[in-house]
Amino acid sequence: MLETEELKKVFKGKTAVEGASLYIDKGESVGLLGPNGAGKSTTISMISTLLKPTAGDVRLNGKSVINNPAEMRQLLGVVPQEIALYAELSAYENLKFFGRIYGLAGKQLETAIQQALELVGLKERQKEIVKTYSGGMKRRINIAAAMMHEPEVIIMDEPTVGIDPQSRSHILEMVRKLNKEKGLTVLYTSHYMEEVERLCDRVYIMDHGKIIASGTKEELKSILSSEETVLIELDRPYPEFFKELQSLDTIKQASETERGIKLILPKGSRVLGKVFQASERHQVQIINVNVQTPSLEDVFLHLTGRKLRD
Amino acid sequence: MFTFLKKDILILIRDRTELFILLAMPFILIAILGFALSGVLSGNTEVLSMDVAVVQEDDEEQGLERFEEELAASGVPADAQNEIIAAAEESSPSSLLQEILNDEGLSELITAREMDASAAKAALEDESVVAILTIPENFTFEALQKMIMDEGEGSSLQIMISDHAATRSEVFYNIMEEFVWSLNFESAIAKAADGEGALPEAEQTQIGGVESVSSVNPINSFQYYTIGMAVMFALFVAATISGMAYVEKTQFVFHRILLSNHHPLVYLGGKAIAAAIVTFLQFCILFFLSSLIFGAFSLGDLSFWPGMLLITFSLALCVGALTALLTAMTMRFGNDTITTVFSGGVVTIFAFLGGSFTPTEGLPAIVQQLGGWTPNGAALNAFLIWVQNLEISMLADPVGRLLLLTVLLLSLSVIILPRKGEA
Repeated sequence: MLETEELKKVFKGKTAVEGASLYIDKGESVGLLGPNGAGKSTTISMISTLLKPTAGDVRLNGKSVINNPAEMRQLLGVVPQEIALYAELSAYENLKFFGRIYGLAGKQLETAIQQALELVGLKERQKEIVKTYSGGMKRRINIAAAMMHEPEVIIMDEPTVGIDPQSRSHILEMVRKLNKEKGLTVLYTSHYMEEVERLCDRVYIMDHGKIIASGTKEELKSILSSEETVLIELDRPYPEFFKELQSLDTIKQASETERGIKLILPKGSRVLGKVFQASERHQVQIINVNVQTPSLEDVFLHLTGRKLRD
Repeated sequence: MFTFLKKDILILIRDRTELFILLAMPFILIAILGFALSGVLSGNTEVLSMDVAVVQEDDEEQGLERFEEELAASGVPADAQNEIIAAAEESSPSSLLQEILNDEGLSELITAREMDASAAKAALEDESVVAILTIPENFTFEALQKMIMDEGEGSSLQIMISDHAATRSEVFYNIMEEFVWSLNFESAIAKAADGEGALPEAEQTQIGGVESVSSVNPINSFQYYTIGMAVMFALFVAATISGMAYVEKTQFVFHRILLSNHHPLVYLGGKAIAAAIVTFLQFCILFFLSSLIFGAFSLGDLSFWPGMLLITFSLALCVGALTALLTAMTMRFGNDTITTVFSGGVVTIFAFLGGSFTPTEGLPAIVQQLGGWTPNGAALNAFLIWVQNLEISMLADPVGRLLLLTVLLLSLSVIILPRKGEA
């Protein structure tokens, strides 16, 4: 349905996106993962026809939309990372404005407003001025504004940044429903791996402007199928202990986490003995050791060498 | 386009700070400047007009007769006596004072009402007059004796002023002081010139320092500053509305608008029309309030307002075009420096050049010419022509400039505005 071919964008001699090719089938939910500065937002801007690519193409049902964006725009609903609303207007007035600019009027407009408010659960507070809303409520209206013209494809650029867990959960559930129950095609970018794991059928991983891996969650995890993850929980950080673990040959990757150390190592490695020996030498207090199969986060770390929120 | 302009006006109405700047601020400045600089402009008689009681205790005829008698007894030769008597009759202080009080130039300022002492006192107490001028007994005789013969102590006019109208009574006192000074001056000149004639006519009309009244309607300070501040603060409308464009750009609302398949020119048109409507309403409110509270213009004069509204409409179009240009530049360069510099500096410079703070007549010609090409300056000129009831054909120049500026600014904004895909 929607595909990009070797998209490239250069800003003042600096390449922001290079050779980004991806496709999204009708009704699919696709995640675009990458750390800050990976090129996600630039890619989304090119897909949504707001930014002209330096090279490459965007096709809708096989037809290029670069020079003829009107058809594409009618099908698209874009939820930007920013709260793209008028803070001085009420939720109702905002939705009315965005509905009107899509040509809705009269009863059709009123119905669309009420449906959008129902969707985001803010029908009761529609008359309140947006600037008085909490962060989560603003994000919900931000999504509602993109839904006013009933788009077929919705592109969401980190729609849950900076909000409380309750609002986040509400938004994720809403997106899931839109995709699974209403058949809306979703392109979702996020910093939060668990959001993408929960919502998306397929995932593209971007880093330094390039798509470095793609596939279903299972396919991506299979990259690390011959490996396992060991989580060591510590009472506090031990830099010397961490350094020694990093130097062990059998350990493919070691990284510090909030609560301790994460190791990725070949399946069946007999490394725990060496870990305990090192902990004794450095007088480290180990609280817990957990051996897991790799997550998407581990795949990301494995592919990019850095954490998603670095 | 209606959707866009409705949204801009709604947002503006909700923003109390901006509303204060656009409506309350100019009104406060009109009040301050109108009162403080009322003397700067000619014809500002409305604010200072006053009623004065004149108590006539002097008998001029008797005074002149007594002067002639004294002169005859002084032993002055008969020929010289005749010349002095002729001079005394011509420059009788009492007559001169009456002339001053009834002078055409002062009649707008002072209304002198002759009454007896007790009626004058009652009038001062009930505040129907601001001062009592008493011309004392023997004033003519004693003044002539002092002026011409340099004998005696002369005579003094007595002025009783009220507390309830301190400024106006002070002005009256000053006028009388001027009169006495020029009378003394005249007699000094007369003596130096060996008794030659009174002050020339032209000098007499300068007494009291009141400016001459021309054939056109004079502009008073409230009229001037109502117009001056309104045209200045119209420029802030352009800054405010284009400032909204910056917020829309940075918060990606503009992207949403582009995604709805609206051409950026429609958006730009919305901004221009919103600014024009807000400017027009701003003028209507300021003119109405200033007329109601300060009496700047006559609200009931139906032949006066169509011209004012037509000039306002021309300026509103120009402010709309200026808004379009500032919006286009904000969109092109992606920052709010342009609107910040405009509202923080350019408006003040334009206001100075255009004469919003003070009339530009005394400034160098180049400043006047530049001011005439600012939207506010051109509009101010047009308003002044209309208010002064000058030839209607004179409006063609400033209104033509406004319309030309509108076309130029709109053309520039269309060239500068980023097209689809560039935003």
